[in-house]
Amino acid sequence: MDRRTFLTAGLGVLVSAGIAKAHHSTAMYDMANPVTVKGTVKRFEWTNPHAFIFLEVKDDKGGTAEWEIELMSLNHLRSYGWVRNTVKVGDVIAATGGAARSGAPSMIAGVVELPDGRKIRS
Amino acid sequence: MSAQIVTWRRTHAVLGFVVALVAVAAGQVQPAKPPAGVQGPLRGGYTEAGTLPARILDFKAEPASIKPGESVTLTWAVENPRSTTISPTVGRAAPRGVLKVTPKATTTYTLTVTGTNGTVTKTVTVAVAGTKAVATSETEPADISKQPTPRTADGKPDLTGVYGYGQGAARGAPPPATAPGSLPRTPTLKPGAEKYRVVRGPEDTGLYSTCTPPGVPQTFMVPYYVQFVQSPKYLIILHEYLHLSRTIPLDGSPHPSDPDPFWMGHSTGKWEGDTLVVDSIGFKESEINGYKTTESLHVVERIRRPNLGTLEYEAVIEDPNVFAGPWLITRTFPLLPEYNRVDEFFCENNRDYKPLFGK
Repeated sequence: MDRRTFLTAGLGVLVSAGIAKAHHSTAMYDMANPVTVKGTVKRFEWTNPHAFIFLEVKDDKGGTAEWEIELMSLNHLRSYGWVRNTVKVGDVIAATGGAARSGAPSMIAGVVELPDGRKIRS
Repeated sequence: MSAQIVTWRRTHAVLGFVVALVAVAAGQVQPAKPPAGVQGPLRGGYTEAGTLPARILDFKAEPASIKPGESVTLTWAVENPRSTTISPTVGRAAPRGVLKVTPKATTTYTLTVTGTNGTVTKTVTVAVAGTKAVATSETEPADISKQPTPRTADGKPDLTGVYGYGQGAARGAPPPATAPGSLPRTPTLKPGAEKYRVVRGPEDTGLYSTCTPPGVPQTFMVPYYVQFVQSPKYLIILHEYLHLSRTIPLDGSPHPSDPDPFWMGHSTGKWEGDTLVVDSIGFKESEINGYKTTESLHVVERIRRPNLGTLEYEAVIEDPNVFAGPWLITRTFPLLPEYNRVDEFFCENNRDYKPLFGK
Protein backbone atom coordinates (compact mmCIF):
# COMPACT_ATOMS: atom_id res chain seq x y z
CA MET A 1 0.00 0.00 0.00
CA ASP A 2 1.58 3.29 -0.95
CA ARG A 3 1.26 6.21 1.37
CA ARG A 4 -1.24 8.10 -0.72
CA THR A 5 -3.64 5.18 -0.68
CA PHE A 6 -2.92 4.80 3.00
CA LEU A 7 -3.88 8.39 3.70
CA THR A 8 -6.84 8.51 1.37
CA ALA A 9 -8.40 5.35 2.61
CA GLY A 10 -7.76 6.48 6.14
CA LEU A 11 -9.01 4.96 9.29
CA GLY A 12 -11.28 2.29 7.91
CA VAL A 13 -8.37 0.66 6.14
CA LEU A 14 -6.19 1.03 9.19
CA VAL A 15 -8.69 -0.85 11.27
CA SER A 16 -9.49 -3.53 8.75
CA ALA A 17 -5.84 -4.13 7.92
CA GLY A 18 -5.06 -4.46 11.59
CA ILE A 19 -1.96 -2.31 11.24
CA ALA A 20 -2.73 -0.27 14.30
CA LYS A 21 -5.98 0.71 15.85
CA ALA A 22 -5.02 4.34 16.36
CA HIS A 23 -7.88 6.73 15.71
CA HIS A 24 -5.75 8.43 13.11
CA SER A 25 -3.20 7.32 10.55
CA THR A 26 0.28 6.34 11.73
CA ALA A 27 1.80 7.51 8.44
CA MET A 28 3.76 10.28 10.14
CA TYR A 29 5.61 7.72 12.25
CA ASP A 30 8.30 5.36 10.99
CA MET A 31 6.67 2.10 11.99
CA ALA A 32 9.07 -0.13 10.04
CA ASN A 33 12.11 0.87 12.12
CA PRO A 34 10.96 0.92 15.74
CA VAL A 35 13.14 2.48 18.40
CA THR A 36 13.22 2.17 22.16
CA VAL A 37 13.41 5.39 24.16
CA LYS A 38 14.31 5.31 27.85
CA GLY A 39 13.88 8.20 30.24
CA THR A 40 12.15 9.77 33.20
CA VAL A 41 8.43 10.57 33.14
CA LYS A 42 7.81 14.32 33.41
CA ARG A 43 4.08 14.27 32.72
CA PHE A 44 1.38 11.72 31.88
CA GLU A 45 -1.77 12.87 30.08
CA TRP A 46 -4.54 10.31 30.57
CA THR A 47 -6.81 11.69 27.85
CA ASN A 48 -8.62 10.85 24.65
CA PRO A 49 -8.23 10.56 21.75
CA HIS A 50 -4.73 9.42 22.76
CA ALA A 51 -2.84 9.31 26.05
CA PHE A 52 0.62 10.92 26.11
CA ILE A 53 3.73 10.41 28.20
CA PHE A 54 6.33 13.19 28.23
CA LEU A 55 9.71 11.66 28.82
CA GLU A 56 13.00 13.35 29.70
CA VAL A 57 15.60 11.47 27.70
CA LYS A 58 19.38 11.84 28.08
CA ASP A 59 21.57 11.82 25.01
CA ASP A 60 25.19 10.64 24.98
CA LYS A 61 26.52 14.22 25.15
CA GLY A 62 25.03 14.97 28.53
CA GLY A 63 22.05 16.89 27.17
CA THR A 64 18.38 16.03 27.50
CA ALA A 65 15.41 16.11 25.19
CA GLU A 66 11.73 15.87 26.00
CA TRP A 67 10.14 13.04 24.03
CA GLU A 68 6.43 12.93 23.48
CA ILE A 69 5.18 9.33 23.60
CA GLU A 70 1.75 8.85 22.07
CA LEU A 71 -0.24 5.85 23.32
CA MET A 72 -3.59 4.42 22.29
CA SER A 73 -6.94 5.81 23.39
CA LEU A 74 -8.17 5.16 26.92
CA ASN A 75 -10.56 2.35 25.96
CA HIS A 76 -7.70 0.41 24.38
CA LEU A 77 -5.33 1.14 27.26
CA ARG A 78 -7.92 -0.04 29.78
CA SER A 79 -8.39 -3.23 27.80
CA TYR A 80 -4.64 -3.84 28.17
CA GLY A 81 -4.92 -3.30 31.94
CA TRP A 82 -3.84 0.33 32.22
CA VAL A 83 -5.15 2.72 34.84
CA ARG A 84 -4.34 6.41 35.16
CA ASN A 85 -1.45 5.75 37.56
CA THR A 86 0.15 2.84 35.72
CA VAL A 87 2.80 5.44 34.84
CA LYS A 88 3.74 8.09 37.41
CA VAL A 89 5.84 11.25 37.28
CA GLY A 90 9.44 10.34 38.10
CA ASP A 91 9.18 6.75 36.87
CA VAL A 92 12.03 5.56 34.67
CA ILE A 93 10.42 3.74 31.78
CA ALA A 94 11.20 2.64 28.24
CA ALA A 95 8.84 3.00 25.29
CA THR A 96 9.13 1.10 22.02
CA GLY A 97 7.47 2.41 18.91
CA GLY A 98 7.73 4.30 15.66
CA ALA A 99 9.48 7.68 15.85
CA ALA A 100 8.24 10.75 13.98
CA ARG A 101 9.44 11.01 10.39
CA SER A 102 9.57 14.80 10.80
CA GLY A 103 12.53 14.53 13.16
CA ALA A 104 10.54 15.72 16.17
CA PRO A 105 11.32 13.83 19.43
CA SER A 106 8.00 12.06 19.24
CA MET A 107 6.76 8.51 18.79
CA ILE A 108 3.69 6.33 18.91
CA ALA A 109 4.51 3.44 21.22
CA GLY A 110 3.22 -0.13 21.13
CA VAL A 111 4.97 -1.29 24.31
CA VAL A 112 5.93 0.45 27.55
CA GLU A 113 8.36 -1.13 30.00
CA LEU A 114 7.50 -0.03 33.54
CA PRO A 115 10.08 0.61 36.33
CA ASP A 116 9.78 -2.97 37.67
CA GLY A 117 10.40 -4.47 34.22
CA ARG A 118 6.77 -5.31 33.43
CA LYS A 119 6.03 -4.75 29.77
CA ILE A 120 2.53 -3.67 28.87
CA ARG A 121 0.81 -3.01 25.56
CA SER A 122 0.25 0.65 24.86
CA MET B 1 -0.61 12.37 -8.22
CA SER B 2 0.11 16.01 -7.61
CA ALA B 3 3.64 17.42 -7.53
CA GLN B 4 2.92 18.66 -4.04
CA ILE B 5 2.39 15.16 -2.73
CA VAL B 6 5.46 13.82 -4.51
CA THR B 7 7.57 16.58 -2.91
CA TRP B 8 6.02 15.91 0.45
CA ARG B 9 6.80 12.21 0.23
CA ARG B 10 10.43 12.81 -0.76
CA THR B 11 10.87 15.29 2.06
CA HIS B 12 9.57 12.79 4.52
CA ALA B 13 11.71 9.95 3.22
CA VAL B 14 14.83 12.10 3.80
CA LEU B 15 13.61 13.24 7.20
CA GLY B 16 12.90 9.67 8.20
CA PHE B 17 16.50 8.71 7.38
CA VAL B 18 17.85 11.64 9.40
CA VAL B 19 15.62 10.73 12.32
CA ALA B 20 16.94 7.17 12.23
CA LEU B 21 20.56 8.41 12.34
CA VAL B 22 19.87 10.86 15.18
CA ALA B 23 17.87 8.29 17.10
CA VAL B 24 20.61 5.67 16.99
CA ALA B 25 23.29 8.19 17.99
CA ALA B 26 21.48 9.38 21.11
CA GLY B 27 22.31 7.70 24.40
CA GLN B 28 18.88 6.57 25.54
CA VAL B 29 17.33 6.05 22.11
CA GLN B 30 18.16 2.72 20.53
CA PRO B 31 16.83 0.60 17.68
CA ALA B 32 14.23 -1.69 19.21
CA LYS B 33 15.25 -5.31 19.64
CA PRO B 34 12.91 -7.65 17.79
CA PRO B 35 11.02 -9.92 20.18
CA ALA B 36 12.31 -13.49 20.34
CA GLY B 37 11.00 -15.70 17.58
CA VAL B 38 9.46 -12.86 15.60
CA GLN B 39 10.47 -12.25 12.02
CA GLY B 40 9.25 -9.91 9.35
CA PRO B 41 8.13 -6.28 9.57
CA LEU B 42 8.12 -4.89 13.10
CA ARG B 43 5.38 -2.23 12.75
CA GLY B 44 6.46 0.08 15.49
CA GLY B 45 6.13 -1.57 18.86
CA TYR B 46 2.93 -3.34 17.90
CA THR B 47 4.64 -6.56 16.83
CA GLU B 48 6.25 -6.92 20.24
CA ALA B 49 2.97 -5.88 21.88
CA GLY B 50 1.35 -8.94 20.33
CA THR B 51 3.83 -11.22 22.12
CA LEU B 52 3.52 -9.83 25.66
CA PRO B 53 2.31 -12.37 28.25
CA ALA B 54 -0.93 -11.87 30.14
CA ARG B 55 -0.55 -11.74 33.92
CA ILE B 56 -2.61 -11.32 37.06
CA LEU B 57 -1.37 -8.53 39.32
CA ASP B 58 -4.02 -8.89 41.97
CA PHE B 59 -7.14 -10.86 42.87
CA LYS B 60 -8.59 -10.64 46.34
CA ALA B 61 -11.83 -10.86 48.30
CA GLU B 62 -12.42 -8.58 51.29
CA PRO B 63 -13.38 -9.65 53.85
CA ALA B 64 -12.39 -13.26 53.29
CA SER B 65 -14.96 -14.54 55.82
CA ILE B 66 -18.56 -13.42 56.18
CA LYS B 67 -21.81 -14.40 57.81
CA PRO B 68 -24.71 -15.56 55.63
CA GLY B 69 -26.34 -12.60 53.89
CA GLU B 70 -23.25 -10.39 54.01
CA SER B 71 -21.31 -9.24 50.96
CA VAL B 72 -17.66 -9.27 49.98
CA THR B 73 -15.78 -7.13 47.50
CA LEU B 74 -13.79 -8.79 44.76
CA THR B 75 -10.93 -6.69 43.38
CA TRP B 76 -8.75 -7.69 40.48
CA ALA B 77 -6.09 -6.32 38.15
CA VAL B 78 -4.83 -7.95 34.96
CA GLU B 79 -2.40 -6.87 32.23
CA ASN B 80 -2.12 -7.80 28.54
CA PRO B 81 -5.23 -10.03 28.51
CA ARG B 82 -7.12 -11.22 25.49
CA SER B 83 -9.99 -12.24 27.73
CA THR B 84 -10.75 -11.99 31.43
CA THR B 85 -13.44 -13.99 33.23
CA ILE B 86 -14.43 -14.68 36.82
CA SER B 87 -16.39 -17.75 37.83
CA PRO B 88 -18.78 -18.65 39.25
CA THR B 89 -21.60 -16.19 38.42
CA VAL B 90 -19.62 -13.13 37.26
CA GLY B 91 -18.61 -14.10 33.72
CA ARG B 92 -16.73 -11.67 31.47
CA ALA B 93 -14.86 -8.95 33.31
CA ALA B 94 -12.86 -5.85 32.48
CA PRO B 95 -9.09 -6.15 33.13
CA ARG B 96 -9.45 -4.00 36.24
CA GLY B 97 -12.49 -4.16 38.43
CA VAL B 98 -14.24 -4.04 41.76
CA LEU B 99 -17.43 -6.02 42.34
CA LYS B 100 -19.65 -6.73 45.30
CA VAL B 101 -20.87 -10.35 45.56
CA THR B 102 -23.06 -12.10 48.11
CA PRO B 103 -22.30 -15.83 48.06
CA LYS B 104 -24.81 -17.96 49.95
CA ALA B 105 -22.24 -20.58 50.86
CA THR B 106 -18.45 -20.85 51.01
CA THR B 107 -17.28 -20.19 47.45
CA THR B 108 -13.99 -20.28 45.59
CA TYR B 109 -13.83 -17.63 42.87
CA THR B 110 -11.51 -18.21 39.93
CA LEU B 111 -10.05 -15.39 37.86
CA THR B 112 -9.10 -16.74 34.43
CA VAL B 113 -7.02 -14.69 32.02
CA THR B 114 -6.05 -15.80 28.55
CA GLY B 115 -3.29 -14.19 26.54
CA THR B 116 -0.47 -15.00 24.18
CA ASN B 117 1.02 -17.22 26.90
CA GLY B 118 -2.10 -19.36 27.30
CA THR B 119 -4.24 -19.31 30.41
CA VAL B 120 -3.35 -17.88 33.83
CA THR B 121 -5.65 -18.39 36.83
CA LYS B 122 -5.84 -17.31 40.43
CA THR B 123 -8.43 -18.26 43.05
CA VAL B 124 -9.77 -16.72 46.23
CA THR B 125 -12.08 -18.45 48.67
CA VAL B 126 -14.80 -16.64 50.56
CA ALA B 127 -15.81 -18.53 53.72
CA VAL B 128 -19.46 -18.15 54.68
CA ALA B 129 -19.91 -19.11 58.34
CA GLY B 130 -21.89 -22.26 58.95
CA THR B 131 -21.97 -23.36 55.29
CA LYS B 132 -20.20 -25.98 53.22
CA ALA B 133 -18.21 -25.11 50.15
CA VAL B 134 -20.29 -25.25 46.98
CA ALA B 135 -18.94 -27.14 44.02
CA THR B 136 -17.61 -24.67 41.47
CA SER B 137 -18.08 -26.68 38.34
CA GLU B 138 -18.88 -23.60 36.30
CA THR B 139 -15.66 -22.72 34.49
CA GLU B 140 -16.92 -21.44 31.17
CA PRO B 141 -18.83 -18.17 31.16
CA ALA B 142 -22.24 -18.23 29.54
CA ASP B 143 -22.11 -17.66 25.78
CA ILE B 144 -24.06 -14.43 25.37
CA SER B 145 -24.48 -15.04 21.65
CA LYS B 146 -26.64 -18.06 22.52
CA GLN B 147 -28.94 -16.17 24.88
CA PRO B 148 -32.21 -14.71 23.56
CA THR B 149 -32.79 -11.19 22.35
CA PRO B 150 -33.77 -8.97 25.29
CA ARG B 151 -37.16 -7.34 24.80
CA THR B 152 -39.01 -4.32 26.11
CA ALA B 153 -42.42 -4.51 27.80
CA ASP B 154 -44.15 -4.01 24.44
CA GLY B 155 -42.25 -6.92 22.91
CA LYS B 156 -39.82 -4.94 20.76
CA PRO B 157 -36.14 -5.88 20.80
CA ASP B 158 -34.27 -3.88 23.41
CA LEU B 159 -31.05 -2.60 21.83
CA THR B 160 -29.74 -1.18 25.13
CA GLY B 161 -26.11 -2.03 25.83
CA VAL B 162 -22.47 -1.08 25.31
CA TYR B 163 -21.00 -2.54 22.13
CA GLY B 164 -17.46 -2.97 20.91
CA TYR B 165 -16.30 -1.94 17.48
CA GLY B 166 -16.51 -5.37 16.02
CA GLN B 167 -12.87 -6.25 15.88
CA GLY B 168 -12.70 -9.59 14.12
CA ALA B 169 -16.43 -10.07 14.04
CA ALA B 170 -16.90 -7.14 11.70
CA ARG B 171 -14.33 -8.40 9.26
CA GLY B 172 -15.55 -11.06 6.94
CA ALA B 173 -18.69 -11.63 8.95
CA PRO B 174 -21.64 -12.75 6.86
CA PRO B 175 -24.03 -9.90 6.13
CA PRO B 176 -27.18 -9.70 8.23
CA ALA B 177 -30.09 -11.70 6.86
CA THR B 178 -31.93 -8.49 6.01
CA ALA B 179 -29.15 -7.08 3.83
CA PRO B 180 -30.34 -6.01 0.40
CA GLY B 181 -28.11 -8.44 -1.44
CA SER B 182 -28.04 -6.61 -4.73
CA LEU B 183 -26.35 -3.46 -3.44
CA PRO B 184 -22.61 -2.99 -3.95
CA ARG B 185 -20.41 -2.83 -0.87
CA THR B 186 -18.11 -0.19 -2.24
CA PRO B 187 -19.12 3.19 -3.67
CA THR B 188 -18.85 4.10 -7.32
CA LEU B 189 -18.43 7.74 -8.26
CA LYS B 190 -21.09 9.23 -10.49
CA PRO B 191 -19.62 10.02 -13.92
CA GLY B 192 -18.19 13.54 -13.87
CA ALA B 193 -18.11 13.69 -10.05
CA GLU B 194 -14.31 13.40 -9.72
CA LYS B 195 -14.16 16.54 -7.61
CA TYR B 196 -15.79 14.58 -4.78
CA ARG B 197 -12.82 12.24 -4.47
CA VAL B 198 -10.82 13.05 -1.31
CA VAL B 199 -7.08 13.63 -1.87
CA ARG B 200 -5.03 13.69 1.31
CA GLY B 201 -1.80 15.58 1.79
CA PRO B 202 -0.26 18.19 4.05
CA GLU B 203 -3.08 20.60 3.25
CA ASP B 204 -5.81 18.10 4.07
CA THR B 205 -4.93 15.66 6.81
CA GLY B 206 -8.50 14.52 7.15
CA LEU B 207 -11.39 14.72 9.54
CA TYR B 208 -9.85 12.25 12.00
CA SER B 209 -6.80 14.46 12.45
CA THR B 210 -8.93 17.54 13.13
CA CYS B 211 -11.41 15.77 15.42
CA THR B 212 -14.27 16.57 13.04
CA PRO B 213 -17.38 14.40 13.53
CA PRO B 214 -17.32 11.59 10.95
CA GLY B 215 -21.13 11.54 10.64
CA VAL B 216 -23.34 8.55 9.88
CA PRO B 217 -22.49 5.73 9.47
CA GLN B 218 -18.76 6.48 9.81
CA THR B 219 -18.88 7.13 13.55
CA PHE B 220 -19.69 3.42 13.89
CA MET B 221 -16.50 2.53 12.02
CA VAL B 222 -13.95 4.04 14.43
CA PRO B 223 -12.28 1.88 17.09
CA TYR B 224 -14.32 3.19 20.01
CA TYR B 225 -17.27 1.78 21.90
CA VAL B 226 -20.89 2.82 21.41
CA GLN B 227 -23.78 2.73 23.86
CA PHE B 228 -27.44 2.30 22.93
CA VAL B 229 -30.06 3.47 25.42
CA GLN B 230 -33.60 2.61 24.38
CA SER B 231 -36.84 3.92 25.81
CA PRO B 232 -40.33 3.30 24.39
CA LYS B 233 -40.19 6.56 22.44
CA TYR B 234 -36.52 7.08 21.65
CA LEU B 235 -33.26 5.35 20.88
CA ILE B 236 -30.29 7.35 22.15
CA ILE B 237 -26.95 6.42 20.59
CA LEU B 238 -23.91 7.56 22.58
CA HIS B 239 -20.74 7.24 20.58
CA GLU B 240 -17.59 7.32 22.67
CA TYR B 241 -15.73 8.86 19.73
CA LEU B 242 -15.92 12.66 20.12
CA HIS B 243 -18.80 12.05 22.57
CA LEU B 244 -21.23 12.28 19.67
CA SER B 245 -24.85 11.42 20.31
CA ARG B 246 -27.98 10.84 18.27
CA THR B 247 -31.61 11.03 19.39
CA ILE B 248 -33.82 8.85 17.22
CA PRO B 249 -37.60 8.92 17.74
CA LEU B 250 -39.08 5.45 17.27
CA ASP B 251 -42.53 6.49 16.02
CA GLY B 252 -41.50 7.14 12.43
CA SER B 253 -42.22 10.86 12.82
CA PRO B 254 -41.40 12.83 9.65
CA HIS B 255 -38.19 14.77 9.07
CA PRO B 256 -38.33 18.56 9.27
CA SER B 257 -39.06 19.97 5.83
CA ASP B 258 -35.72 21.81 5.69
CA PRO B 259 -33.52 20.56 8.55
CA ASP B 260 -30.47 22.55 9.59
CA PRO B 261 -27.44 20.53 8.46
CA PHE B 262 -25.85 18.67 11.38
CA TRP B 263 -22.69 16.59 11.41
CA MET B 264 -24.80 13.63 12.62
CA GLY B 265 -27.85 14.53 10.52
CA HIS B 266 -31.51 14.27 11.44
CA SER B 267 -32.81 10.78 12.12
CA THR B 268 -36.17 9.12 12.53
CA GLY B 269 -36.80 5.45 13.26
CA LYS B 270 -39.53 2.85 13.10
CA TRP B 271 -39.77 -0.87 13.73
CA GLU B 272 -40.24 -3.28 10.84
CA GLY B 273 -40.77 -6.52 12.74
CA ASP B 274 -37.64 -6.99 14.84
CA THR B 275 -35.57 -4.61 12.69
CA LEU B 276 -35.20 -0.94 13.60
CA VAL B 277 -35.07 1.11 10.41
CA VAL B 278 -33.51 4.56 10.86
CA ASP B 279 -33.77 7.12 8.08
CA SER B 280 -31.36 10.08 8.21
CA ILE B 281 -30.99 13.28 6.18
CA GLY B 282 -29.85 16.83 6.95
CA PHE B 283 -26.11 16.23 7.02
CA LYS B 284 -23.35 18.79 6.72
CA GLU B 285 -20.91 18.33 3.88
CA SER B 286 -18.48 15.64 5.05
CA GLU B 287 -16.84 12.51 3.70
CA ILE B 288 -17.29 8.75 3.63
CA ASN B 289 -14.68 6.17 2.63
CA GLY B 290 -12.56 8.62 0.70
CA TYR B 291 -15.40 10.53 -0.97
CA LYS B 292 -16.80 13.94 -0.10
CA THR B 293 -20.52 13.94 0.59
CA THR B 294 -23.02 16.76 0.18
CA GLU B 295 -26.15 17.94 1.98
CA SER B 296 -28.05 15.48 -0.24
CA LEU B 297 -26.62 12.54 1.69
CA HIS B 298 -29.33 10.06 2.71
CA VAL B 299 -28.57 7.10 4.98
CA VAL B 300 -30.93 4.25 5.89
CA GLU B 301 -29.71 2.06 8.74
CA ARG B 302 -31.18 -1.31 9.67
CA ILE B 303 -30.35 -2.53 13.17
CA ARG B 304 -31.16 -5.94 14.63
CA ARG B 305 -30.24 -7.77 17.81
CA PRO B 306 -30.61 -11.46 16.92
CA ASN B 307 -29.37 -12.55 20.37
CA LEU B 308 -28.19 -10.98 23.61
CA GLY B 309 -24.58 -10.67 22.52
CA THR B 310 -24.83 -9.37 18.96
CA LEU B 311 -25.89 -6.20 17.17
CA GLU B 312 -26.23 -6.47 13.41
CA TYR B 313 -25.89 -3.20 11.56
CA GLU B 314 -26.22 -2.15 7.96
CA ALA B 315 -26.33 1.24 6.31
CA VAL B 316 -27.47 2.04 2.78
CA ILE B 317 -25.77 5.22 1.60
CA GLU B 318 -27.01 7.49 -1.15
CA ASP B 319 -25.83 10.87 -2.39
CA PRO B 320 -27.05 11.65 -5.92
CA ASN B 321 -24.41 14.37 -6.32
CA VAL B 322 -21.55 11.97 -5.65
CA PHE B 323 -22.34 8.29 -6.07
CA ALA B 324 -23.59 6.38 -9.10
CA GLY B 325 -26.11 4.62 -6.86
CA PRO B 326 -26.82 3.42 -3.33
CA TRP B 327 -24.26 1.22 -1.64
CA LEU B 328 -24.08 -0.76 1.55
CA ILE B 329 -21.92 -1.02 4.67
CA THR B 330 -22.53 -3.89 7.13
CA ARG B 331 -21.02 -4.56 10.53
CA THR B 332 -21.57 -6.88 13.47
CA PHE B 333 -20.92 -5.32 16.87
CA PRO B 334 -20.38 -7.50 19.98
CA LEU B 335 -22.09 -6.66 23.26
CA LEU B 336 -19.57 -5.83 26.00
CA PRO B 337 -21.42 -7.01 29.12
CA GLU B 338 -18.52 -5.94 31.32
CA TYR B 339 -19.15 -2.24 30.52
CA ASN B 340 -22.15 -0.07 31.35
CA ARG B 341 -21.03 3.28 29.93
CA VAL B 342 -18.73 4.80 27.35
CA ASP B 343 -15.84 7.06 28.30
CA GLU B 344 -15.89 10.79 28.35
CA PHE B 345 -14.17 11.92 25.20
CA PHE B 346 -12.97 15.41 24.52
CA CYS B 347 -10.55 15.77 21.65
CA GLU B 348 -8.08 17.87 23.58
CA ASN B 349 -4.67 16.60 22.63
CA ASN B 350 -4.62 15.94 18.94
CA ARG B 351 -2.42 19.00 18.61
CA ASP B 352 0.60 17.16 17.32
CA TYR B 353 -1.04 15.48 14.41
CA LYS B 354 -0.70 18.28 11.89
CA PRO B 355 2.88 19.29 12.84
CA LEU B 356 4.00 15.69 12.55
CA PHE B 357 2.40 15.47 9.17
CA GLY B 358 4.82 18.09 7.91
CA LYS B 359 2.84 21.29 8.30
